[in-house]
Amino acid sequence: MKLQAHGIETDLPTGWEGRIGVRTTPLATSSAIGDPAEVPHPIVHLANFALPEDRGDFGSGAVDLMGDQDVFVSLFEYGPECANTALFSRQGLPTKLTPNMFSASALQRTLPGQAGCQIFFTEGDRAFCLYTVLGKQSSAAKVLPGANAALSGTRIQPR
Amino acid sequence: MTALVVLLGAVVAILAVLVGGLLRTHAEILKRLHELGAGLEPSESSAQASPPPTPVTSREDFQVMPQVPAPPDREHFGGAADLVGLAPGGQDAVSVRITGVPHDTIVAFLSSGCITCQKFWDAFRKPRKLKLPDGTRLVVVTKGTDAESPSSVADLAPSGFPTVMTTEAFGDYDVPGSPYFVYVHGPSGRVRGEGTGPDWEQVRSLLEQATVDAGLTTALADQQVSKPDADQAREERIDRELWAAGVRPGDPSLYSVDGATATDEAGGADEADDSEGHGSSAKMGGS
Repeated sequence: MKLQAHGIETDLPTGWEGRIGVRTTPLATSSAIGDPAEVPHPIVHLANFALPEDRGDFGSGAVDLMGDQDVFVSLFEYGPECANTALFSRQGLPTKLTPNMFSASALQRTLPGQAGCQIFFTEGDRAFCLYTVLGKQSSAAKVLPGANAALSGTRIQPR
Repeated sequence: MTALVVLLGAVVAILAVLVGGLLRTHAEILKRLHELGAGLEPSESSAQASPPPTPVTSREDFQVMPQVPAPPDREHFGGAADLVGLAPGGQDAVSVRITGVPHDTIVAFLSSGCITCQKFWDAFRKPRKLKLPDGTRLVVVTKGTDAESPSSVADLAPSGFPTVMTTEAFGDYDVPGSPYFVYVHGPSGRVRGEGTGPDWEQVRSLLEQATVDAGLTTALADQQVSKPDADQAREERIDRELWAAGVRPGDPSLYSVDGATATDEAGGADEADDSEGHGSSAKMGGS
């Protein structure tokens, strides 16, 4: 199942679904989340469970629904000025996540049993954060092959 | 005087036409009643049995309300497939798993242009009032940007449910038109029910019926007593042999009267073999 938008392409493994989109800039007068002055960039959400429509950039609203065998992946792009800077010095999209990379302290929002992993990198002069959440840390060895397959099937076109 | 006579003649002519029409209608009614057997004694009716009337449920006679599409001309449910397309607005990409997932999915095929669809777009903006079955996900599908206005779909799309713009899905699900609804059993990926209606209440009722029917089937399956291993192995062997011989589930030879007569005549061990064969054919047909 192939998805392609905003210079990002992904070929999802069986059982996974995804979204590639750009959040709309909220109007100054609206109550929507976000800064009216921000310039939104593409976000990729991949998961091996049904993604809810009401999701935050880093999965709030989705991680709450995760089961023990669920994985959520967010690929969040930052502005071009961030590419190749110190934080984003790592080159290339990580495709080999291992259980020891995950920790409950890496979660944006701590939920019992869950664990997260955050990696910043640059690919094609585009700066990204790869944020991955496991529904249950002890299931890491079982579910990470699926996440790695999803990441391996993802291509980022140069800016 | 002449004008009066002409006028009178015209009135008589009109009355004659009216009376003629009434008599013709009356004759037509009597003819149809006669075909249906009305006015005849039971014995007389059977004795004068005329060719059976055309079933009123034939496809030619079946009609739906003008604002909803007619069901597709096929015996079985259509297929189900995962959805890949564009999000409302036509810029973002969306994929939604329908098959091989733990939850069931109601796929709602809508259009931004059809009047009846507007009721569903409005209803989907109030998720709590939809009363979706437990463990069921609603996904809205419109045709792709080749047939729909992305901005119109974006204006209509509900915020609480995924909306996918994909023309391919209409073909995959063999959808006759919009609005149309398909209820897919997630784990098996099989269609449990499909249809349409003028509003969500009617569609929900239709889907509930499909759910109840499926639940009843599951409940009955749970009550089945498992067969001894020897019987199971024998049936599987017979199924394989029949398959290898080119006898498929539903093959007329499995149900032919000639075969039964031959078996009766053969008797003994052949009879036992035949009974096993019939049992296995039913299993094959059901599998």
